[in-house]
Amino acid sequence: MASLTCTNFTLLTAAAILLQIAGLSLFVFGFFPIKPALSGVSGPESFHPSSCDSIEVQNFTALHPDQLKSLYQELSEIPPSYDRLILMVIDGLPAEFVIGRDDQPPSKIYKDAMPYTQSLLANKMALGYHAKAAPPTVTLPRLKAMTTGSIGGFLDVLFNFNTQALLEDNIIGQFFRIGWKMVMLGDETWLKLFPGLFTRHDGVSSFFVKDTVQVDNNVSRHLSYELYKNDWNLLILHYLGLDHVGHLGGRTSTLMGPKLKEMDEVIKLIHSSIIQNHKQTLLVVVSDHGMQENGNHGGSSYEETDSLALFIGPKHSHVSVSPTDVVTINQVDIAPTLSLLFGVPIPKNNAGYLITDLFHPLQDHELLRAMELNSLQLLKLLEAQTTHSTCKSLYLDAISLHKSWKMKNDLRSATNDEFTNTVFAYNEFLKTASQQLSHTATDKPMGLLAIGVTTMLLSCIIFLFLLFKLIQETYQNLKIQLSEAFIAIIIIILVLSMGSSSLVEEEQYLWHFMTSSFFLISLHKTFKSKSMNKIKTPILISIIIISGRVLRGWHQGGVNWTHLPDISKSLENSSSFYIKLLQILSVFVILILCFCTLSSLKSYVVISIMGSYFCVGLLVLNYVMKYQGDGDNDNDGILAAQMIYGLIVGLTSVMVVGSPWIISFYLKDLVLKIKDCLYLSGIAYVFGWCFLQLLLQKPVNSMPISLLLVQILATIFCGSDRGSDFKQWVEIGAIYYLGMAGHFSLGNTNTLATIDVAGAFIGISTHSTVLSGLIMFVITYASPMLSLLSMVMLISMKDINPNLKNMGQLLKTILGFPCLVPLGLNSVLLVAYTIILLLMRNHLFIWTVFSPKYIYVVVTTVCVLVGVLIVASTVTYIVSVVFLLRHRFYKHSTS
Amino acid sequence: MKDKKKGHNTKVSTSGGVLSPSKLLLSHLICGIGLASSFWLAINVYSINLIDNPAETLRLVWLIEVPVVILIYSLFRKDKNQSSYLKAVARGLLGLPIGAIINALGAIALGAPIGTHYFQRTLNWSLLMSAFTFVPAACVYGSSWVDWQHTFVHTKLIGIIDYMICLPAHGAVIGAWFGAWPMPLDWERTWQEWPICVTYGAILGYLVGMLGSICFAVFRVSHQHRKGD
Repeated sequence: MASLTCTNFTLLTAAAILLQIAGLSLFVFGFFPIKPALSGVSGPESFHPSSCDSIEVQNFTALHPDQLKSLYQELSEIPPSYDRLILMVIDGLPAEFVIGRDDQPPSKIYKDAMPYTQSLLANKMALGYHAKAAPPTVTLPRLKAMTTGSIGGFLDVLFNFNTQALLEDNIIGQFFRIGWKMVMLGDETWLKLFPGLFTRHDGVSSFFVKDTVQVDNNVSRHLSYELYKNDWNLLILHYLGLDHVGHLGGRTSTLMGPKLKEMDEVIKLIHSSIIQNHKQTLLVVVSDHGMQENGNHGGSSYEETDSLALFIGPKHSHVSVSPTDVVTINQVDIAPTLSLLFGVPIPKNNAGYLITDLFHPLQDHELLRAMELNSLQLLKLLEAQTTHSTCKSLYLDAISLHKSWKMKNDLRSATNDEFTNTVFAYNEFLKTASQQLSHTATDKPMGLLAIGVTTMLLSCIIFLFLLFKLIQETYQNLKIQLSEAFIAIIIIILVLSMGSSSLVEEEQYLWHFMTSSFFLISLHKTFKSKSMNKIKTPILISIIIISGRVLRGWHQGGVNWTHLPDISKSLENSSSFYIKLLQILSVFVILILCFCTLSSLKSYVVISIMGSYFCVGLLVLNYVMKYQGDGDNDNDGILAAQMIYGLIVGLTSVMVVGSPWIISFYLKDLVLKIKDCLYLSGIAYVFGWCFLQLLLQKPVNSMPISLLLVQILATIFCGSDRGSDFKQWVEIGAIYYLGMAGHFSLGNTNTLATIDVAGAFIGISTHSTVLSGLIMFVITYASPMLSLLSMVMLISMKDINPNLKNMGQLLKTILGFPCLVPLGLNSVLLVAYTIILLLMRNHLFIWTVFSPKYIYVVVTTVCVLVGVLIVASTVTYIVSVVFLLRHRFYKHSTS
Repeated sequence: MKDKKKGHNTKVSTSGGVLSPSKLLLSHLICGIGLASSFWLAINVYSINLIDNPAETLRLVWLIEVPVVILIYSLFRKDKNQSSYLKAVARGLLGLPIGAIINALGAIALGAPIGTHYFQRTLNWSLLMSAFTFVPAACVYGSSWVDWQHTFVHTKLIGIIDYMICLPAHGAVIGAWFGAWPMPLDWERTWQEWPICVTYGAILGYLVGMLGSICFAVFRVSHQHRKGD
């Protein structure tokens, strides 16, 4: 079989990498649509068309809440219909249970279970709507949609990591700004979304799905007190019990009837208290999402998206809608409706439009004003999101009709027809604009996704083809051994496990189990040798296994068993003395390893390098002792950290760039020269990275870093043994797996919550997203990156065929496996997980488990690409410089 | 859980075990009955079971299984002309703790929990695993490193006795390895705890291994007969 030349090889690899990047970007942007959300909050300017910016309203945040409230009232020109709001969220209640489906009244069981609510609907005291929820139909994004009026993309999570608080403009924040007192009882998600906004709260956890009684009693127990208390403007009640009933027994559960009855009692209690005490109160009963027949939710079927919006207030008596009229609205319409009813600006990113029925008690000009305000807000959002606007003309039509109606109305000559036309025109615009805005957020362009997946698949096939080809060229004996097959088995098992949400959550067990199994098999293999004098390899493998076990015990990790004891927890609970001791120990372990590896180079330069590393070690130690854990960023600490950054980066680049120039002076043999240069650069990368990690990682993670280094060095030395039957690609695969297992040993999980945000600001004096993002990447991907950087060292430890005088052939032999194995393994994982994500797009845990994991997979791909790029460019640089120098030397000697 | 078997001597044993498939079937049957009766005793006499009292049940099982295994396998010791039956029994008893340590180390390396709470469970589990894997080999091979290496490292099996030792032992180890798989799943069942499902896997693998070794033995004998004809 014809072998590939180095050029073809490089070209194919580069093409595959580019394909991978292209496919990945296509997929990510298709799957997680980025919606240009407007930042900031709506203020007084939202009451004016965008053209006339008045200067007086610029600094509205400085106003007192009461002043702001009256300012809003003045600007909106709509008298508030109500002054108190009770928002009752019944988690998972399908609207079908209350208002029926397709003109059919709800089935008798449900109707009988909620007699009071049904009587309210029949007496036109309440208005019920099907509020269509957008997928994912799970609580958190639905609450965001209800309060902001926007349909969030998943990627916003990335832009406000660290905090779960809702940063987008929302009605709760708007109410807070006008000085409302708010009380929240129920699901603690609200507290996470709106920390500090509630005067009183009692959060319940939705963790115990089997509990259907206590979870609601914990909400209702405060109810009579709060209704009596009367000092609040907004009362939020979030009942989780019905959702739990659904999860346990589905829609037809025997518990469903009593639960609906209980909810009906609550509504009755609240409504009678409103009638008795405080008539200006609006009670809104909503559900965040529906449920399927079996009680699950998360997807986009009718049953799941069919949520309820029920408005119970004293002012609906003259509403024209008959109770059998079933009206469908969107869940996002709740936000603008409530904003307009209570006289606060509509949230900036709202995509919903007001429910006109609720504004009927208002006068004609007030209704038109409300529609105008909503149109203004939607238009501003549309202009920010899309350039082409078919809606703009609709808006202009409505505005001009409104203007002429206003003029005629002032002259008292406006006809009813003109009013209806204006309302119709506004409705037309609002509907079109709202639709356009929602579609950009939820539609998944399947074509784009398919192209993305295909491209990634293609690149994966190219990688595997090249890898296979290289194995074929390198080894004549193609008999597969168990330890080699196991590298492939690990990947297959990992791919299969990714479909299970609990195995994604607990991925760390899998990596550790498989990696340890691999090394146990390798240990088993070492007993094959007849003689017992080769003791080095078994000892090294035992060290790897033992370190791996300690690393596994360091962080419990995962989701379900995080509470179990582990080493890091017991260290953090004991005095900080032990942590400091371990930090000192790990600095010295790394220093000693550094000196040992350096000492095998026979050169005087080594001594100065050793000295430099000693200085770096001492500086890191000094920083760790003096500044770490202080919390506040004082200038000395920042300067010290910056000095260490500078030193490490400087030392590493000097060693890598300078190595061929330093070492060529005293070595004649070309291959030895290249090997020594690579060895020196490998040391520079590995130890530079380790010292950087000692500085950046949490104090408790310093020991795992040194253990990881021990594991990787031991693997490299195992493979460097001349008689070792570790094939190179197996060794690289093993190092890659060690890196991935180590990723979890440093406390990382597949949830975004474990990213160390605090560490990202070490040594940064000004707030810079790019810099802290980079540092966060360095901290989170410490272990995979270390394993990739160690490839330079690994290459230098391998025998290089001295007959290869051609530079291309040489590069291909030494670089082929170290680049292709990580790329190939990662691309398999990437493609498999992309396909799984696509298949799981309607899964209940898509946004909580699978999507965060996908983010990690994507960043791991970036990490692998960067690592491989560093390795490839370093090796190419060193080899070409050595060749160049030799060329020059020959020229000198011949002339 | 893949475990390493290690001897100390490189003496080559001279006489191979002479064993007929029927004897193998009988001895496997006795081992299997020993295992089954120990579980029967646990449930019906002591009213304990593996899920609720893993440590106690495992202790009972190995206490019954170990004598059965030692007494049977010592009959087939390879160096019959050098060592007596009693010596083979003593070797088996000596092999029990060594095998237990190796099995326990293997399990811990793969992530078995450490701690006082789990000590009893790990101890009893590893003693049972030793009865499945290490003890039979200790009785039969004694200290012959070459035999150990042949069976456990190279898996080049010569006599029926080799099949009788190798297949159930590998079955138990591989079964235990697969038995650990359900442990990280969030099904919230008690049997997912260490070492319950691992024990189930090991026993299942052991039984499959016994069955396999019987099949191999029958196949080999019939093959040889045909060759002889």
